[in-house]
Amino acid sequence: MQSFKEQAMNDKTQVAERDQNAIARRAGDQPTRRMTLTPAVDVFEDSRGITLWADLPGVTRDKLDVKVHDDGNLYIEAVAVVPTPTGLRLQHAEIGEPRFARTFSLSPDFDTSKIFANLQNGVLKLTLPRRDEARPRQIEVQTN
Amino acid sequence: MSDLYSGTDLFSEFDRLQRQMESLFGGLPSSIRSSRFGAFPQINIGTTDDSIEIVAFAPGVDVAGLDVAIDRGLLTISGERKPAQSDAGDDTRTYAQERFTGPFRRAIELPQNADPDKVQARYTNGCLSVSVGKRESSKPKAITVQ
Repeated sequence: MQSFKEQAMNDKTQVAERDQNAIARRAGDQPTRRMTLTPAVDVFEDSRGITLWADLPGVTRDKLDVKVHDDGNLYIEAVAVVPTPTGLRLQHAEIGEPRFARTFSLSPDFDTSKIFANLQNGVLKLTLPRRDEARPRQIEVQTN
Repeated sequence: MSDLYSGTDLFSEFDRLQRQMESLFGGLPSSIRSSRFGAFPQINIGTTDDSIEIVAFAPGVDVAGLDVAIDRGLLTISGERKPAQSDAGDDTRTYAQERFTGPFRRAIELPQNADPDKVQARYTNGCLSVSVGKRESSKPKAITVQ
């Protein structure tokens, strides 16, 4: 788990993790442990708050779960459903798992009651506004 | 049972092994047209008795800019993915930019029995599904034992 700001430093490890996950499969002898893919994200911040974009191909709104727990962490969990004809035999797979999961820690300056989520064409857009009192203010300098 | 994600047949296991070896040793021979592993969009391929099914995981792509073409047994999927945040102001800080942006092209060598006249493509929820029919003569037939 990472905060958004740590993300910048950890970009490389994240990308490496993602690639490993992509080729990893559920091991036959561990049926209970489910592998998940780490979705690729873009994270931007401006004075209003943070905008996060996450790639979730094949995910519909009812298979997407975005929540903030009491621990202050933001959880993104999703399952992709791609309709296929019956009798399909897989020959080549670059995406080995239909499950996505990623967690971020949120600092208290975000207003978690006003998080807005939009899912379109398999891309999740999350906006996390900062609390009004946490927004930057320009302080006027008086001169005599 | 049909499953797009977890193939258990020998082909996909071999495929996975080959890719792992590739990442370790930097190159067993693979198709000259295949991209390095991890290219956008990622692709899964399966077959049924009647068709070859290709799914390209290409979220956030404008359908109008998505091009699917077949030329002499080669299926090409190309297009461009635009950056999500195009209106970034001066005060915007970027913490992560893992999502692919820019033009992309992936080519898939279709088997001999693919029929280029029977192709259907559909883009839903960020997945491009392409179904290529097989020629009648190539479909499995039950042989009656006399």
